[in-house]
Amino acid sequence: MKTLVADETPAAPALQSQAHWDGLAARGRRDRQVRSGLLVAFLVTVSLPILLPYFWMFTIALSARTGGVESIVLWRACAILVPAVVAIGALNLVLHRPMAKLYGASAVIVLAGVAIAWSIGPELHLDNFAFLSNPNFVQDLEGRRQATVESQFPSVWTAFFNSLVLATVQTVMVLGVSTLAAYYLSRFNFAGRASFLQALLVLHAFPAMTLIIPIFLMMYWIGLLDTLTGVILVITTLELPFAVFIMKGFFDAVPWDIEMSALSDGASRRQAFWYVVLPQVRVGLLAVGVFSFIKGWEEYVFVRTLLFDKQNWVMSLYIFWVSEDIMGVDYGAVAAVAVFYVMPSLLLYLFCQKYLTQMTLGGIKG
Amino acid sequence: MARIELDRVAKRWGDVTAVEPTDLAIADGEFVAVLGPSGCGKSTTLFMLAGIYAPSEGSIRFDAAVVNDVEARHRNVGIVFQSYALYPHMTVAKNIRFPLRFRGVQGADAERRVREAAALVRVDDLLERMPGQLSGGQQQRVALARALVKEPQLLLLDEPLSNLDATLRLAMRSEIKTLQRKLGVTTVLVTHDQIEATTMADRIICMAKGTIQQIGTADDLYRRPASLFVAGFIGSPPMNLVGGEAAGGRLRVGDRDLEVSAASGPVVLGIRPEHLTLGAPGMPGEVVDVEPMGREALYVVDTPLGRIRALAPAQATGPRIGEGTTFRVDDTDALLFDAASEALLPDARIGFGP
Repeated sequence: MKTLVADETPAAPALQSQAHWDGLAARGRRDRQVRSGLLVAFLVTVSLPILLPYFWMFTIALSARTGGVESIVLWRACAILVPAVVAIGALNLVLHRPMAKLYGASAVIVLAGVAIAWSIGPELHLDNFAFLSNPNFVQDLEGRRQATVESQFPSVWTAFFNSLVLATVQTVMVLGVSTLAAYYLSRFNFAGRASFLQALLVLHAFPAMTLIIPIFLMMYWIGLLDTLTGVILVITTLELPFAVFIMKGFFDAVPWDIEMSALSDGASRRQAFWYVVLPQVRVGLLAVGVFSFIKGWEEYVFVRTLLFDKQNWVMSLYIFWVSEDIMGVDYGAVAAVAVFYVMPSLLLYLFCQKYLTQMTLGGIKG
Repeated sequence: MARIELDRVAKRWGDVTAVEPTDLAIADGEFVAVLGPSGCGKSTTLFMLAGIYAPSEGSIRFDAAVVNDVEARHRNVGIVFQSYALYPHMTVAKNIRFPLRFRGVQGADAERRVREAAALVRVDDLLERMPGQLSGGQQQRVALARALVKEPQLLLLDEPLSNLDATLRLAMRSEIKTLQRKLGVTTVLVTHDQIEATTMADRIICMAKGTIQQIGTADDLYRRPASLFVAGFIGSPPMNLVGGEAAGGRLRVGDRDLEVSAASGPVVLGIRPEHLTLGAPGMPGEVVDVEPMGREALYVVDTPLGRIRALAPAQATGPRIGEGTTFRVDDTDALLFDAASEALLPDARIGFGP
């Protein structure tokens, strides 16, 4: 400490006065506040371009009316929310007691809520979500009469259910296969293990798009073209190399000792895996599960290529055809479908992020 | 409780031999320590006893029954690992209870046995904690309780104290020893720490390079080390080992000629630092360095025999660095080893002269 002071003020007397120390302490506090203020400002600047499109999507879905794109609601909402966020940040810096922070933030939120209700409340409506109950909504929007059989959309719930089946079954298969494969790769030595691991990496680096035509032909010959089963198999296969690699990393981190300990405690190899090893990699299971679910949920290229029948549409195809059929007519409807589409993965992520960010494995050593 | 026998047991990994063919018998209820530097094959031996590794040749017998092909889970062996290997996702109670679920012990019976085992190592007030919330010493006790709850016929301790701090190590040493006496369970302790081995075990098996160097009590290993390796490994500070040449009843060491009997050819003379009496009339020497160690001090002395370390009571009047001194060695305290075979020459007698 002493040398530090001496470095900064070479002419300082040997005995420092209390005022000198107080000055240094005040400077330290000020520097800390400036640093954290700059950090917050930087993070806000970086996240704005990411958050703004989502926010825009929500406002359009809730406010746009047939025939036009109203950006006034967006600007008004921004004009209220941006100062509100800045105010909360500033309060956080200025106030020190936790209760004061809480009261300050709540006051700002209430104020912003009132302002939003007053300025854009009358503009908000749910008409754009008509697609949830009316399969004929595209024709209704365009002012056409009852759709022909060919142009009739399937119910959005059919597409939703198909997407759910695709993502869930795919996730279960990826989890099952990658867990067993990764455990074997992590724990057992066999001929060709090293080249297998290298092949996994190469497979992951390989652009899947280049495989579309061969996969299409294979699906055609096998007879799985235009079936969900076919798409599930294709996406599972493409997801596996990465999932195996991630899971192998998690298994590698589980010490041999606890497995040997389980064996000598009377467990069979399978019981040791199930009761002792698998619980250690549950964060990995969750991560791989969430990522492959979201991958299945957002998949577009392969479903576009391999599925034709309207009854086989998944959500990505549904939103594509909605925008294709009514583009230039109603952004509100497209945005509403987009909100509906994004909700499940958003909820899944919000629910799991707590577990994904706390990647602790518990204490094994003292 | 069981009597353990190893009959020409060896372990090979491809071309690498971890344990050379080894014979060993451990009596029922005996506490044996396997002592050696890392890589000497002691852990491999332990894992062969546990059934985690299968021996490449030879046979392992528990109470005269060959158990080579009996799986680890059926051997009823308790192990305490160096890392404790507690299951991090289970509470202490579930950790201790884990072995019981595979033995069909359930309900109130299991509860009672978990409580008894926990009380034995005094962790009964920690049963609902997670292993991550325990200190190293507490984790160690839980690991011990988990190994003992299944009433094992053999208890294996793999470097159980090396992750503890010095004070705790001292306490656990005597605690484990007392517990073993009380339960009478046959116990094998694997360690690289000679203090651990000598203080806890009835008998010590000293291993190096995959072979057993010597089996005996702590006293045997200290007084009559069977090989150069044991002589250098046991004892702290280590034994002085000086090369020499014996011929015709004379032993040439450094620039001194000593009397010798029953030895010839290249030999190694071994003298423990505590067997040199500094200041007593005898050979001359010059003090090169003094390392005070509290009650005693280690003197590094240049002598006609070569550079030698001597342990003497620390005192203000002792010789200082750069001063000359004299020292004496009792003839009976010196050991002689054959330089080629590294084995002790048990009948060799050395005379250092007046």
